[in-house]
Amino acid sequence: MIPHEFEYASPATLQEALQLIADGSGKILAGGMSLIPMMKLRLAAPGNVVDLGRVPGLKQISESQGVVHIGAMATHHEVETSAVARSRCPLLAEAAGSIGDTQVRNMGTIGGSIAHADPAADYPAALLALEATVRLVSAHSDRTVAAADFFLDAFTTAIEPGEIVLEVLVPAEDTSEGYKYEKVAHPASGFAVVGVAVRVKRSAGKISMARIAVTGMGPHAFRDLAAEKLLEGGADAAKAVAVVGEGQETNSDLYAGGDYRRHLARVHAARALAAAISRCT
Amino acid sequence: MKVSGAYTIPAPRERAYALLQDPAVLAKCMPGCESLDKIGEDEYAMRMKMLLGSMSGLFEGKVKISDPHPPLTFRLMVTGAGKIGFMKGEGVLTLTPIEDKTGVPQTSVQYEGDVQVGGTIAVVGQRLIDTTAKMLIKRFFETLSREAATAAAAN
Repeated sequence: MIPHEFEYASPATLQEALQLIADGSGKILAGGMSLIPMMKLRLAAPGNVVDLGRVPGLKQISESQGVVHIGAMATHHEVETSAVARSRCPLLAEAAGSIGDTQVRNMGTIGGSIAHADPAADYPAALLALEATVRLVSAHSDRTVAAADFFLDAFTTAIEPGEIVLEVLVPAEDTSEGYKYEKVAHPASGFAVVGVAVRVKRSAGKISMARIAVTGMGPHAFRDLAAEKLLEGGADAAKAVAVVGEGQETNSDLYAGGDYRRHLARVHAARALAAAISRCT
Repeated sequence: MKVSGAYTIPAPRERAYALLQDPAVLAKCMPGCESLDKIGEDEYAMRMKMLLGSMSGLFEGKVKISDPHPPLTFRLMVTGAGKIGFMKGEGVLTLTPIEDKTGVPQTSVQYEGDVQVGGTIAVVGQRLIDTTAKMLIKRFFETLSREAATAAAAN
């Protein structure tokens, strides 16, 4: 289908882009992997579209002082294949590599994906497990929000009108830790029916740090603090994964009901945990 | 699709029931409601603009209240249609007072119903309908709770 009429702007600088959306009316176009299909179906009909494609400097992936900076316009493919991401936050690179299909990974961006906040997106689980933060800028503000405070609900984030996701900041993973992103991909869309990101550190044969985050199961991704605590307290893996998703709301659709999703979250948390432990050094 | 759940409203049962029947309050609490006009006994015409992330759609429809048994229960019917699809929902709301421990009277509102969604939004957004419906219901009750709290503070 053909979208409704809209004004298109393609600013050449970040300042210009921020001015264009300062009144909160403009819709940011990043990779267009969610927005464009919705506009073509007329599910979305923004009056003003502000394309960030020409704004320079938003694609960089670099590390400084133990923090990996990932520019909002870095594509999933760039995150997946970046030498910095692969060596310093390999969990994120692994999650990026599992997103959608080749076309989506070549066009879709990390900033666009997290701003859209699809409840079944892959990045949120990885970002929560990595305790990443998101840097948001507007014409007159510049702030960072922890991933846990960023994903508020389905399609709902902490982004205020007039703000743009500038970059994602990921504390570099310890080289000794193990990690794994496990997902059940929807056969048609590639979205995560359920996706589980796990990080573990071991010392003296025991788990000294555990992070477990789940996407797709509920309206937004979440970290399972109860399961993490059990693992860090020395409980065995089976006991810990049995509580994953307890008390959390679930999504359901024709493909997978709520209870089944919770079950999948536990099964895949167990698999991800086993894989992560085997990667510990 | 079946929907059910329960929310707590910080108001005594009679007051909570009255709030749920008050078109001015309903108009304020329904997410995206632009207008709610009385067209008959317990029947209202509604215009709502649904905003969900980048998705948006204008819906026109009706809200009807039937089988009222104040202050215990009533049946609510909501229908709506717009360019991106249509929806029809019907459910029973049951109000139960909650044991008063804090000195603030509270009421638990349980809802149980059936929602049908069709059109473009259902075809392409099937995996999101359940999530969306729950989120809209949650927003409705959260706003209603705030309404009840401010009304109580004003008294």
